[in-house]
Amino acid sequence: MNVLGQQLVNGLFIGGMYSLFAVGYTLVFGVLDILNLAHAAVFTMGGLAALWLVQSAGLSIWAAFPLATLLAGVLGLLVNQVAFVPLRRRPDTYFSGLISSIAMAIIFEALAMQIFGAHNVRFPAGTVPVVIWRLGGITITLLQVEILATVVLLMVTLTQLLKRARIGKAIRAVAENQRAARLLGINVDGVIAFTFFLSSALGGAAGILFGLYFDSLSPDMGRPIELKGLAVIVLGGMGSVPGAILGGLAFGLSEVLTVAISGTSNLRDAVAFTMLFAIMLLRPSGILGKGRTREA
Amino acid sequence: MDLITHLYAVYGSVLNFMGINALLALSLYVTLSSGLLSLGNAAFAGIGGYVAGILTTKLGAPYLVSLGAGTLAAGLAGMLLGLPVLRLRGVFLAMATLAFGEVVRIAALNLEITGGAMGLIGLPVKTNTWIIYLALAAAAYLVARMARSRLGWALTSIREDETAAAAMGVNLTLTKTIAFTLGAGLAGLAGALYAHLNFLITPGEFGFSVAVNLLMYNIVGGYRVWYGPLLGAALLTALPELLRALGVTAGPLRLGINGLILLLVILFLPKGLADLFHRRGDPATAPAQAAPAKG
Amino acid sequence: MKKLASLLGVLALSLLLSAVAAFGLAPAAQAKEAKIGFAFSMTGGAAAYGATQKNGAQLALDEINAKAGADGIKLVALFDDDASTPQQGINVFNKFINADKVSVIMGPTLSNTAQVADRIAQQAGVPVLAISNTAQGITEIGDFIFRDSLTEAVVIPNTINTVKAKLGIKKVALLYGNDDAFTKAGYEAFKNALNQAGIQIMSEQTFAKGDRDFSPQLTQIKGMNPDAIVCSALVEEASGIVAQARQLGIAASVPIIGGNGFNSPALIKNAGQAAEGVIVGAAWNAASPLPLNKKFVEDYTKRYGVAPDQFAAQAHAGVYILNEAIKKAGDPNNRKAIRDAMTQVKDLDTVLGPFFFTPGRDAGSQPVVQVVKNGKFAVLGN
Repeated sequence: MNVLGQQLVNGLFIGGMYSLFAVGYTLVFGVLDILNLAHAAVFTMGGLAALWLVQSAGLSIWAAFPLATLLAGVLGLLVNQVAFVPLRRRPDTYFSGLISSIAMAIIFEALAMQIFGAHNVRFPAGTVPVVIWRLGGITITLLQVEILATVVLLMVTLTQLLKRARIGKAIRAVAENQRAARLLGINVDGVIAFTFFLSSALGGAAGILFGLYFDSLSPDMGRPIELKGLAVIVLGGMGSVPGAILGGLAFGLSEVLTVAISGTSNLRDAVAFTMLFAIMLLRPSGILGKGRTREA
Repeated sequence: MDLITHLYAVYGSVLNFMGINALLALSLYVTLSSGLLSLGNAAFAGIGGYVAGILTTKLGAPYLVSLGAGTLAAGLAGMLLGLPVLRLRGVFLAMATLAFGEVVRIAALNLEITGGAMGLIGLPVKTNTWIIYLALAAAAYLVARMARSRLGWALTSIREDETAAAAMGVNLTLTKTIAFTLGAGLAGLAGALYAHLNFLITPGEFGFSVAVNLLMYNIVGGYRVWYGPLLGAALLTALPELLRALGVTAGPLRLGINGLILLLVILFLPKGLADLFHRRGDPATAPAQAAPAKG
Repeated sequence: MKKLASLLGVLALSLLLSAVAAFGLAPAAQAKEAKIGFAFSMTGGAAAYGATQKNGAQLALDEINAKAGADGIKLVALFDDDASTPQQGINVFNKFINADKVSVIMGPTLSNTAQVADRIAQQAGVPVLAISNTAQGITEIGDFIFRDSLTEAVVIPNTINTVKAKLGIKKVALLYGNDDAFTKAGYEAFKNALNQAGIQIMSEQTFAKGDRDFSPQLTQIKGMNPDAIVCSALVEEASGIVAQARQLGIAASVPIIGGNGFNSPALIKNAGQAAEGVIVGAAWNAASPLPLNKKFVEDYTKRYGVAPDQFAAQAHAGVYILNEAIKKAGDPNNRKAIRDAMTQVKDLDTVLGPFFFTPGRDAGSQPVVQVVKNGKFAVLGN
């Protein structure tokens, strides 16, 4: 039994999950400089939608996954339209946007509770085949490999999209300077809406994978990951996509390594947040962040 | 008179929580009014509550001494935290204080002296409605007076434009630190009062969701004037009771309507509830131009 | 001052509004009606448990009221949400006691909330029946506070002794939730019981409420080769722990031992094959052949589409206990008489078995040790 090896696998895996969640989070921040606190609720809704499609509509997970991801994206459009667009011309968008997005999150959670109840629900047995490999005392499942592959695929697609596609360039232009982008003839409002769609679709996908892997979903499943997601995007550098990916992995690994090294899990969250605090003081722009974070 | 006695019997506890939450909201207002978003005020309340509670239960300190000690301890913690983190701006300050808040909560869960998850049990019930509202009135007076003082103008100028404020000779670090310390102290007082209200405090009552609630009170009430946060805290604390009384079934429905009302207030009352109560042209509520700078 | 006046105006108006509504909705109880206030967590962290409590109580209420007939006492139920927080719990209790004038209160769901809310009822002289608070110090609040849930301090030593006798375990790893009063109390009870039984604790691991990934802790535990894993968790987390332990390759010969929190069919449903062999020490024997219990399991399953858990069973039994006390007291509006009658409840047939209160007003029923076998709870011993 290779404890450290297994812990690294655990950390890599949960870290990948954090990354996928955080990428969507950070995308919106990068473009708008606002935190969308409904992101965790969209994550939950994505997972629950996939469950509904598999369980009640009888679809296979291969069909349910893209459909639920799309639906999560549409929810993102809704969040943008209801909670952010009306506030855009206001001087205090930043603070009020936090609250209006929390209001959306509360409504989503109430909705999920009404439909699915407060209990944990799970995908029907056999939704994904269960295959377990044991390599030199390290356990890896087929599902883990599939999930990691999906995460990598989504990340690569996103990075390429941002780098090469027209819309990706437009997103980066808007992130850089909204006014200049508008002068260049870019449909800024459309780009922002698309960013929300993309961000929420990724969040929804993370919710589905999370629900599949841990085999349980509930209306409040987004809450614990919300806080960690915030930590991750700060760690990686607010608004930086590669930063969020690295930050997620770093956060996941720090969690398991704390357990592995200290031998106990009491300190797990304390270490993670102390690390976050220290980074804020020493290098507030995060691992890969840029931009002004403090006054001289 | 009977009606009032009866109302107090039913809603006295709601009234108490409204007062405590209003005091907490006010503690956040102090820094928020200068454009600084702290998510650490719930933790400061926790520090105040636990320090006061431990003094009372373990050392037998008198109630007022405990209140004072809780306030001072939280204020001191605010000052020590403020010195390094107040260089940070916007969301970065929020994140640093959030991390601090989580560490405090986890510490309270793991320490022996705080009673862990079971909470600090056996606190004498000393706080009552009069004391809460007396403290609230004093704090509100202090904060309202501050708005018209040099410190108040310095804070407003920081909110409007930090660089310009500095150029005009405002000592940024000092001004911010004073505001942050004052806010932390008020939060600590609220925590200390709360600790002696109900026999028990638990770490969960000072966590992230509470920190976010405080922000909600300010935004919903309006954080351009001192009474905005009080209105927000009063409405949002009473909202579940109002819905309960109006016959909205307990459970998801009530939660959803809660969220909906929150959303409607944000969308249709840009300056918060306070906007309903002031006449146009009041300089204290004139729209400010400065949004937090790009991070 | 204008501002202050408006501020006070809003406050007064809100309270008045709720007061008017509260009076409108709360007509005085009829002579042959007993009002019971149920304070359960319908939202917030404990919502999953509050939901089954409500189901169990509702089932019992309907059974009793159907049988009450024309001259019997009808039970009128008021359900409200303590939102899993002490603050809301206090507000609900105040409303029940002073606005609705209930005869007796059942709940709240969580021990932390009970610690503060029960005191209000004690002061007002309203009997409270706790049905899920298992921490220490609840019934000690006063002579109006009762509970039908066996505490971890009763259930767990019995579990450990039974398991030690049957399986001869010598060294174990402990895993518990350290941010919740229930799981923390369970941990302390386990630790004491293990020390007393002379079983070595190799490692103590913790998790937080709402966690779904337990692999780091379980990996550490696996590396130590314990004879068993002792776990204080509620069922939503317990299912994940059990499933992930087996997936990580912790052999089925290493049993996982849990307390009251594990006693739910959701454990078997969620963890599937991995739940086989899990040992659950509990207050309610799901497999009990007593006729009332069999009927309860059948009716509940038919009505709600899922099998009941211990939360539902204790709520169901609680309603029967209250009904008995109210009948004995004769006057459904006399809170003191109902309290006195509670202490006289004896050999009452409930789904928890024959029921009575100890002199300390705690449950006098017998704990049971169950093991999951072929997808069902079976009795290991008691």
